[in-house]
Amino acid sequence: MNKQSAPPGVAPGTPPVLQLRGIGKFFPGVIANKDVDLDVWPGEIHALLGENGAGKSTLMNVVTGIYQPEEGEIILDGYGQTFTAPQEAIRAGIGMVHQHFKLVQAFTVAENIHLGWDEAPRIASPAVMEARTREISERFGFPVRPDARVCDLSAGEQQRVEILRVLARKARLLIMDEPTAVLTPEETGELFRALKAFRAQGNAVIIISHKLDEVMEISDRVSILRGGRKVGTFNTADCNPSMLAATMVGRDIVRRNMRARPEGAAPIAPDPVMQLRNVSVRDDRGVETLRDVSLDLHGGEILGIAGVAGNGQRELTHVLTGLMARTSGEILLDGSLVDRADPALFARAGVGHIPEDRLRSALAPSLSVTTNMALREYPYPPIGTHGLYDAQAAGVLARDIAELAQVTIPDFAMPIRNLSGGNQQRLVARREIRIASRVLVAAYPARGLDIGAIATMLGYLTDLRDQGVAVVFISEDLEDLLNVSDRIGVMFHGRLMSVIDAEAADMATIGLLMGGRDAAGTQPGATQ
Amino acid sequence: MAARAFQRLPSAPAGRILVLRLAAIVLSLFIIAGVLALSGHSPVTLAELILRSTLGSRFGLEDLALFMCPLLLTGAAVTVCGTIGLWNIGAEGQFYAGAIAATGVALGLHGPAVVLLPIMTIAGILGGMAWITVPTLARAYAGVNEIITTLLLNFIASLLTYYLTTGPWRDRISGAQVSTQRLPVAIPEMWGIVHWGFPVAIVIVVGLALVLSRTRWGYEIRIGGANPEAARYAGIPVRLRIISVMLLSGALAGLAGMFEVAGTVHRLQGGMANNFGYLGIVVAVLARGSCLNVIPAALLMALILDSGIVMQTQQLSASVVLAITGLILFMIAIGDELAHYRPVASTTPKGKAS
Ligand SMILES: Nc1ncnc2c1ncn2[C@@H]1O[C@H](COP(=O)(O)OP(=O)(O)OP(=O)(O)O)[C@@H](O)[C@H]1O
Ligand SMILES: [Mg+2]
Repeated sequence: MNKQSAPPGVAPGTPPVLQLRGIGKFFPGVIANKDVDLDVWPGEIHALLGENGAGKSTLMNVVTGIYQPEEGEIILDGYGQTFTAPQEAIRAGIGMVHQHFKLVQAFTVAENIHLGWDEAPRIASPAVMEARTREISERFGFPVRPDARVCDLSAGEQQRVEILRVLARKARLLIMDEPTAVLTPEETGELFRALKAFRAQGNAVIIISHKLDEVMEISDRVSILRGGRKVGTFNTADCNPSMLAATMVGRDIVRRNMRARPEGAAPIAPDPVMQLRNVSVRDDRGVETLRDVSLDLHGGEILGIAGVAGNGQRELTHVLTGLMARTSGEILLDGSLVDRADPALFARAGVGHIPEDRLRSALAPSLSVTTNMALREYPYPPIGTHGLYDAQAAGVLARDIAELAQVTIPDFAMPIRNLSGGNQQRLVARREIRIASRVLVAAYPARGLDIGAIATMLGYLTDLRDQGVAVVFISEDLEDLLNVSDRIGVMFHGRLMSVIDAEAADMATIGLLMGGRDAAGTQPGATQ
Repeated sequence: MAARAFQRLPSAPAGRILVLRLAAIVLSLFIIAGVLALSGHSPVTLAELILRSTLGSRFGLEDLALFMCPLLLTGAAVTVCGTIGLWNIGAEGQFYAGAIAATGVALGLHGPAVVLLPIMTIAGILGGMAWITVPTLARAYAGVNEIITTLLLNFIASLLTYYLTTGPWRDRISGAQVSTQRLPVAIPEMWGIVHWGFPVAIVIVVGLALVLSRTRWGYEIRIGGANPEAARYAGIPVRLRIISVMLLSGALAGLAGMFEVAGTVHRLQGGMANNFGYLGIVVAVLARGSCLNVIPAALLMALILDSGIVMQTQQLSASVVLAITGLILFMIAIGDELAHYRPVASTTPKGKAS
């Protein structure tokens, strides 16, 4: 049972950094983990795979002392351990970067890095903390702006702060829960270089990811969870992505070109539903984050938006959904000018919005699943009649959404933050699709989804297209973009570089545009 | 190796909280009894006396109801504000403002009670709302912290009451100190000395609970309190909701003042708010954000206040009574915190790692 063969490269007799034996963790109505055994050796990068809700985050929360297991034991360097709090795990050299950021939004980067850190100087002026932060950031090769407030940072930048926080605390075992979900390809490359350097010093990494290519690239071994139990541990060298996917889901995943329309699908509408004309946005500091963007959205068409995160995608989504006021330019809905940024007006006009950061902006994490599912439809019958709120009708709606989204929920009255990250995303997506009768703005909708669910999500987008809805699909995954989009626009430094026909597009052209270079043969600015 | 420890859960089940609070109260009663016994009082006689003069007699029950009435309303005022994530620390001031406005009507207008009482009620409500207007607008339009602004206005309202009751409105008939004359009208009594304000307050609290859980407005308030950004995303006019909630909160506290002046005290008196505004915060904290819980929380608070008065008649100083109140609330707070912890059962023997 307790097979103890150290892998090659580890001195014989060295115990694993982390051993899990028979871990079980239960929530009311859910077996999150059961009988999980896992060995992680020094000098290895261990990937943890599994579908949404398979129990990956829960297992790692058990390892880092956020949860106590009901069954089983945790063994560190050969000694049994119990952590009653995450601080104890950090002191023992286990650091975790979470799926949902745990930064203090109102603090600066430097303050967040130093928060609750034993080694922080007793009396630290902002200047001292910022200098230390700059030094740490250079040492680990993660550039950050020490004096920036976290709430002003993009998701990718926030994650860099999270990673630095843990690295600075001298972790020997680094646990990362879907770290690359919000990183750009370059940032992912940098992260992987840093992880390899970390491994080379005899440290260990557990990485959770839904991106199988990355798992193949970075990991030495892979463990797969399904329904809370471990299916197996494999040497990555013996694996390939399709075999991993099949083991994870228990069936084969077929990916296909989804650009082709089925019979009876709505054609691309000649008149645009929504138009942006020379729209620019300035942030509080006066920096132009969206520059002179012109864009037409047509019903029955998917417009893909490619680009490295932080190049104006957030602003574009917010302008398209009425969350952000433009500084100049015009927005037309059905040909008539919209004179104010009013999300309610856009929602009433049939604009759905799957935002980049669901926990922060699309959900009230502490309220129940039912309450959250009613967020878009509470003003309308059957939930809202005569100014009332019908909790029963909201419950029915929540059940409908959960069923369509294929999420099993033991208790609709529990706070929605208890659901796994991917399951929250599925619910938000289905909720928004319901109201998106004209336009759906989907920012990174596949983020955090397992690969089966990604295929389903892309299917949702094409279904909407076939019903005549205009879909804006923002993503970093070029393959997904090319799979479903009719046209692809590329954003760079707040500018919409170019909108090209997906038929004619290839990865290389888009890659060039993403880097800010205009490839020959494409018209700069927008179509028309 | 340490035994499997306790785990702190982010939320605590209501049943556990109730059990632990009861335990906390019982425990504090034992502590109090012990201290009283050591200082030469007989806890048993005292307890008997307190029980007889509160729950155990008709007069006691009437007193309790009178204490509960303002606490229900100020507790609801703080709770409703808390639903959208704001703290109304100014219920005390709004209470005075409501009392002053109602008194002004009663002293200034002449007419039968059926005419005057509704006008006084409206005046009380408007008075409370007026008193929270500036903090409300400052919060909604300039993001000024409402805790500070509402708190500071309390002192102004209290001093204004002293000024009126010793100055322009002082009692020129019977010469009572720091008081107006007896008001010409009173809220009719329902049961003994308990006036109709009491059942009305209960109805208001229950109604508020329904409004918060069963109306669109209530839904928007709950979302706005739980995540303002999500509220904005859903197109909820958060600013307008903040304004309406804060004004409602002020109205409830103002109404409490009107009830007190027209139903219980029958005069405007300096210091008459009796900390009911601040105790409303305690009631709201005990109620843990639920309007319905305000009723038992107000009852508990009223029991504590009433027992305190009985003890003062038994030569226990006011500060001892205050200390006892503090002890009970402190123990309840500990009980609430403990309710979050759950022992984690371990089924596997541990230690060995071959
Ligand atoms: N605090 C909690 N209370 C109740 N149920 C919970 C809680 N935390 C997790 N769960 C449930 O445990 C199961 C496993 O969740 P977990 O977050 O570990 O999934 P995951 O593998 O990380 O999924 P994803 O890929 O979507 O992030 C889910 O069904 C989830 O709803
Ligand atoms: Mg997870």
